[in-house]
Amino acid sequence: MIEFRNATVIYPGGLKALKNVSLTIEDGEFIVVVGLSGAGKSTMLRAINGLVPLAEGSVKVSGREVRGATPSDLREIRSDIGMIFQTFNLVNRSTVINNVLVGRLSMVPRWRSTFGLWPKADMETALQSLERVGIIDKAYERASNLSGGQQQRVGIARALAQEPELILADEPVASLDPVTSHMVMRDLQRINRELGITTLINLHFLDLARDYGKRLIGLRDGELVFDGDIANVDEDVFRGIYGRAITPEDLLETAGP
Amino acid sequence: MTAPPEITTFEISPTDRPAPPPRSGPFFVVVLLIGLAFAVAGVVSGGIAVVWGLASGVLAAAALRWRGLTSLPGESLAIVFASALGLGLSGWALGQRGSSIEGTTALLAALGWLLPGAAIGFAVWRNSDRLRLTSVWVSAVGWALAAFFVFLWAEGLGATEGLSRTAIQAGEIVELTPTFYATSGFFVALIGAGVTLSLLVGSPALPAVAGSITFTLFAASQIGFSVIKVASEADKLNVLAQEFWPAEWKWANLTGQPVANQIVEPMVETMQIAVVGATVGCLVALPIAFLASKATTFNAPTFWGSRLFMNVIRAIPDLFWAMIFVSAVGFGSPFAGALAMIMFSLGIMAKLLSETVDGVDPGPLEASRATGAVHSQVVQYSAMPQVLPHYVAYALYIFELNIRASVVIGIVGAGGIGRLLDEQRVFFQWDRVMAIAIVIWVSVIVIEMVSVTVRRRLV
Amino acid sequence: MKSMATPNVVDAPPRPEPPVGPRLIRWGVTLAILIPFIWGTLGLEISPGRIARAPELVWSIVSSMFPPDWSNTGRSIEKMLESLYIAWVATIIGALFSFVLGFLAATNMAPRWVATPVRATLSAIRAFPELVLAIMLIPAFGLGPFTGTLALGLHSIGTLGKLTSEVIEGIDEGPLEAMKAAGGTRLSTIRFGVLPQAMPNILAYWLYRFEINVRASAVLGIIGAGGIGADLFSFLKFRDFPQAGMTLIVVMVTVLFIDAVSGTVRRRIITGEPGKGPVSRLLGLLRISRTAQPA
Repeated sequence: MIEFRNATVIYPGGLKALKNVSLTIEDGEFIVVVGLSGAGKSTMLRAINGLVPLAEGSVKVSGREVRGATPSDLREIRSDIGMIFQTFNLVNRSTVINNVLVGRLSMVPRWRSTFGLWPKADMETALQSLERVGIIDKAYERASNLSGGQQQRVGIARALAQEPELILADEPVASLDPVTSHMVMRDLQRINRELGITTLINLHFLDLARDYGKRLIGLRDGELVFDGDIANVDEDVFRGIYGRAITPEDLLETAGP
Repeated sequence: MTAPPEITTFEISPTDRPAPPPRSGPFFVVVLLIGLAFAVAGVVSGGIAVVWGLASGVLAAAALRWRGLTSLPGESLAIVFASALGLGLSGWALGQRGSSIEGTTALLAALGWLLPGAAIGFAVWRNSDRLRLTSVWVSAVGWALAAFFVFLWAEGLGATEGLSRTAIQAGEIVELTPTFYATSGFFVALIGAGVTLSLLVGSPALPAVAGSITFTLFAASQIGFSVIKVASEADKLNVLAQEFWPAEWKWANLTGQPVANQIVEPMVETMQIAVVGATVGCLVALPIAFLASKATTFNAPTFWGSRLFMNVIRAIPDLFWAMIFVSAVGFGSPFAGALAMIMFSLGIMAKLLSETVDGVDPGPLEASRATGAVHSQVVQYSAMPQVLPHYVAYALYIFELNIRASVVIGIVGAGGIGRLLDEQRVFFQWDRVMAIAIVIWVSVIVIEMVSVTVRRRLV
Repeated sequence: MKSMATPNVVDAPPRPEPPVGPRLIRWGVTLAILIPFIWGTLGLEISPGRIARAPELVWSIVSSMFPPDWSNTGRSIEKMLESLYIAWVATIIGALFSFVLGFLAATNMAPRWVATPVRATLSAIRAFPELVLAIMLIPAFGLGPFTGTLALGLHSIGTLGKLTSEVIEGIDEGPLEAMKAAGGTRLSTIRFGVLPQAMPNILAYWLYRFEINVRASAVLGIIGAGGIGADLFSFLKFRDFPQAGMTLIVVMVTVLFIDAVSGTVRRRIITGEPGKGPVSRLLGLLRISRTAQPA
């Protein structure tokens, strides 16, 4: 369970990226966060795993307070949260398996990771994660040799290797073409259903949000402007979130490359 | 035959064209002319500063007018007046000097040059729509600073040649010569006008070139270097050929050993010093480089601390390290040489690598931080793979540098072939020096060829 | 991990074997570093005992340099300036000659029969360390800064010539082709096609060489070729550590200062925009152009 209580984020320079957000996310939910770029979607996700510090309020993950956590507490919280990025954030020169093993770093003794002596069990977890996203055959290839969609799957496998309670996906399909976008979204949906991992996804395409989301959170200028079942979402709600009418650029089908 | 299609023409209105941005090139001529104006005026002044100023002002104003940089007669008059007054004051201040031109005198004399600098700056500002009034001050200060340094160096420029040595030593006040006015005026005006006009162009090229020329002449005169001297001493190269050739390969040392193996053995020692220095230095540099980069550092104190450490190590030349370690460990010890090479490699590698780490993709670092990894794991798994090929290439390059450096550290007693070189040098055994130099030369070339080939394969 | 053993894993493709190649390479590289290193340490008779004693010895030297003896600082600064002059003139010599030779050594500017011998000459010059060159010039030109300057200048021609030719070879050939197609002469191609592309990098290398030459010229005094090296050498030889400390500080401060200024200028030349270092900020305070003013 994740609880936001009046969470506020202020960046150095004074920009208020998140204003007074309060909401609760139950275990196993599949949530889509929408909003214009700069509305605070990425900030909200990063406030959950403490990559961005809160200025006021609180964020609790499974009852553990993120704000003001000691570095080692913070690492423990993070080890239960998988994160997926728009630009995949893989080490291009490393092999796929080494990229996935990054997800196990917080679980192994430091001397083992220093010399690359991975315990059998951790290696097994990493390989199974790759199997789950269907690219086990690429395990020993360089990450840079993979296509965009495959690279994002390595990113998902890295998150899965953490055996997380929660997955945060920050614009996971923004760098992908429409077909691959749908494949990646389906992977995330499947993982949520089969493993019961709570999933939070930032999206800026409204049709994708409608196709895959259950619960929708709308942000505008850092404020929470909508929180509810996606079935109740219509044009007016989107207009409220975006502050303008929907244009073709807001839909994957019409905006895709 | 069909009639050709009618061609539509555009109405061209020249007023729409943007004004071309100014370029340095054409202004360089003006800068040179102004410099010459002050020089010519110095020659005709007959040693009287006010005349020098008056004539310079007239010539400089004419040069500016020619390029359309001044418009009103008032501006030209202002330049002439400011120049006469300023240079008059400057000449008076210089006349007050003691045995040589020193700081205070130079400063006082430089203050006079604020006036022509300001006047010329003002005229240029009046006729430009791109400059702010600040440019007048910058111009004035530019001229005065140029004057200050040129006067400080004036003796070096040969400008006080007209003064007799005894007169200078006696501290007598002697009339300043036209030569002095001409040379110092030329360089001050060259740099000053460069500053003023570079404001128009928006690039520092003009004063940079003028300043470089002046500094080169000054520096050369300070160390007794001139083109004439090089030309007149060129025939001494014959001496080189006679002294060095043929190289002597065999000589007996104090213990009576023949020497063929005496060159080989120190050369091997040199290689060993280079290998050990490069290996240890590159290894120790690794953590320092990561701490000295904003992308991977721990916190502010470690960042600044490691940067300071790295820069201080790099600021001391390799041979000075060798000298320090020789005094610590003992003369003739290759161990001292290895320590020196460690410091040398450490400094370069830390610098090169930390700059590379600055450029890593921060995405993977954020990703591994988000999994809850500790800092050292984040660096090892997300930053290290990104810079590894660079690290290897740098290491090979540093090994090459180490070979070059370790052949000479023996001169100060740190082991290797340099020691041999020094032994023969102090007894002027140039033919033996030649033999050693050939060995050094060949090994450096061979090592470089191998290293370049390997590096090309790697990256 | 049991929770993950769900049905759709069953039809996953077989797991690939970890490849052997990278592991072999890793071992090969480890050996390639370790074996020469062990050979070196054995040859230099570096024993654990000596290594353990070294920090203590070095510390005793460093601590005896403090507090430095400032009584002769004026002379040291003068000598350091002499080193600076040597470095500057040598850099100018190197820059002037290497500029021409760099073009002659570039395979895309000069025919092979010119480029190859010029290149060979440049690397032949480069292979002599500066100090060895200086020693070899002493019998002709005697002791003093003149010899040092010549030696440094010669070496700079070698290094800068190589770097210049590499810059020229690395330029984009497209514009040159366009100029040739438009009927441009060889000289105008160089003026409008090569120089605008290559000059920023060449200039940056000149400055970089100056930074290196400052260090090299500080050392030249050891063999009597001018500059501050002679002072430091004799202070250390006669174990006058406080004075040696003072000299070292003078050298360090000068080198750090030159590095900072030259580094800022180099960055400015390469990127074409003002940097963020202290020097650039200071220059940024003088807002002169009206157009660059913030609205």
